[in-house]
Amino acid sequence: MTTDTRTKRFLSWIDFRFPLTEVFERHLSKYPAPTNLNIWYLFGFLLIVVLAMQIVTGLWLMMNYTNSAEEAFSSVEYIMRDVEYGWLIRYMHAAGASAFFALIYLHMFRGMMYGSYQKPRELIWLGGWFTYLILMAEGFTGYVLPWGQMSFWAAQVIISLFSSIPVVGEDLATWIRGDYLVSGITLSRLFAFHVVLLPILLIAIVFFHILALHEIGSNNPDGIDVKKHLDEDGVPLDTKPFFPYDISHDIFALGVFLIIFCSVVFFFPTGGGYIIEYVNYEPANPLSTPAHIVPSWYYTPFYAMLRAVDFPLFGLTAKFLGFATMMAAVAIFAVLPWLDRSPVKSIKYKGILSKTFLGIFVVSFFALCYLGMVPPTETKTLLSKIFTLGYFSYFLLMPIYTRIEKCKPVPERVAEA
Amino acid sequence: MKLLVFLAFAFFSGLSISAGDYKCGSIECYEFSPDTKDKESLQRGLSAYMNYCYGCHSLKYSRYKRVAEDLSIPLDIYEQNLIFDDSKIGDLMHISLKESKAIELLGAKPPDLTLEARLRSPEWVYTYLDTFYEDSSRPYGVNNKVYVNVSMPHVLEDIQSELSEEEYDRYIADITNFLTYVSDPSAETRKQLGIYVILFLLIFTAFAYLVYREFKKDLK
Repeated sequence: MTTDTRTKRFLSWIDFRFPLTEVFERHLSKYPAPTNLNIWYLFGFLLIVVLAMQIVTGLWLMMNYTNSAEEAFSSVEYIMRDVEYGWLIRYMHAAGASAFFALIYLHMFRGMMYGSYQKPRELIWLGGWFTYLILMAEGFTGYVLPWGQMSFWAAQVIISLFSSIPVVGEDLATWIRGDYLVSGITLSRLFAFHVVLLPILLIAIVFFHILALHEIGSNNPDGIDVKKHLDEDGVPLDTKPFFPYDISHDIFALGVFLIIFCSVVFFFPTGGGYIIEYVNYEPANPLSTPAHIVPSWYYTPFYAMLRAVDFPLFGLTAKFLGFATMMAAVAIFAVLPWLDRSPVKSIKYKGILSKTFLGIFVVSFFALCYLGMVPPTETKTLLSKIFTLGYFSYFLLMPIYTRIEKCKPVPERVAEA
Repeated sequence: MKLLVFLAFAFFSGLSISAGDYKCGSIECYEFSPDTKDKESLQRGLSAYMNYCYGCHSLKYSRYKRVAEDLSIPLDIYEQNLIFDDSKIGDLMHISLKESKAIELLGAKPPDLTLEARLRSPEWVYTYLDTFYEDSSRPYGVNNKVYVNVSMPHVLEDIQSELSEEEYDRYIADITNFLTYVSDPSAETRKQLGIYVILFLLIFTAFAYLVYREFKKDLK
């Protein structure tokens, strides 16, 4: 018996009991990807790579990290100094968090640009949105673990936001902290969330996201429904199999990504204070507040919104309204599929209004990102208010502008686009 | 009453200066770029640190042995000359000054300086060491332009009066280089390894591109 037939026999033994070949072909080797996919379609793959990297580096960090208020800070320095290549693992994990957010923002923007949330991909979009929510919680809990000054005060500020909720707020904040102030108890519960609960949810929901995607199929930059034209085997004509066409594309992209990522890890590991903040090199001290408490860059757009709402309304405090605005800014992504009334998916075929409002959204997002980083002044708070309106206008006015604008006709086939 | 107002004013003006817009307290930082490759400078910095700073400022996240190895100092010489208590060469660099004693003597706990150069920046450390000035209103008769109303006496006063200005600048540059090294001891290894990693990735990506281009031809 040759090795070849032996492998075949072994595979058929497995396939009789578990659909291995079918799953592999359906989700990987033969997955039909539209032929017109462009650079914006790389980030999903890169996100999977970064997720895997975070899990592996996180596992190794956990082997040497101590989750107590007394030892957390020094255990991180122990990892940086005494653990073999501990510095590399830690810098990769820290830069990995920033890369994760950078990539997920690009990935989300791709969806918004090409209407990837539209029917029938609403659940794929919701899965992705939920991934983003969990990632934000994961980023926050992870940020607290080194137990430096910024870790402590970020936890203090973020958790105290919950206390602004009317009636139940104070009790809720105490319940989250597990204490009357941020303490070692808070640290160890955030650690448990960071390494067990949130990663399990993250993996489960990413699995759901990909399963749903592979059932429906990828959208494409022209928003053409490739399933309308099938070949004799039922495979869409305007697609190519994942292996080798997409995987070769993705691996090339991975190389480019790793060059950028490793340049940061090896040459600018603190990212000028944006990846690891310098204030965090001082151990947590509940008695001394840092001059400027700033969240990580990937939360700053929402932080700017929190600060922009500085007026009480309808008997609700400014702090609560700010918190609610911030939450709404994240939550509103979930209803995007039902706000868009356009007959076409891609921005390429949508009208001038959609293009303008998407532009307003992008400008507002970046502006808020900056405004959330710098200390507030009167002008800057006013700007934050304007850009917060810009951010929400993209969503809230969408049912109107997508209905009244004139769209271009979408071609039937990719070749005609 | 007038005295009280004066004191309050002095206190708050002091606060506003220390929390000023400059990165180095009340002034702009002096220009300084640390050189952690210069082993002789690092050795001189270590020696100065151990003699003038280590009495009060621990380096408790760092180990004697790691410093000795990174700075190419033979372990026996290090043990004989640079360990002042019964610590072992593999121990963390704790100091024998107790916190309560330090507060009794100085009014504040001298901070650990292992990460100072990362927390504040090397320029800050260098500028700080260079900007002590006479101020009879302070308990030790000195004040600092970077850390306004600092509790620390000017421990390098004798050195500064013995050396020329140039020599003193080099002296504090050595200490700053050493503190920069000890705040991130893997920095040089990291950068060296980084070059190989990037070279490998460039070759990998070049081949990945060729494979991609080859398959792309099929689709035309």
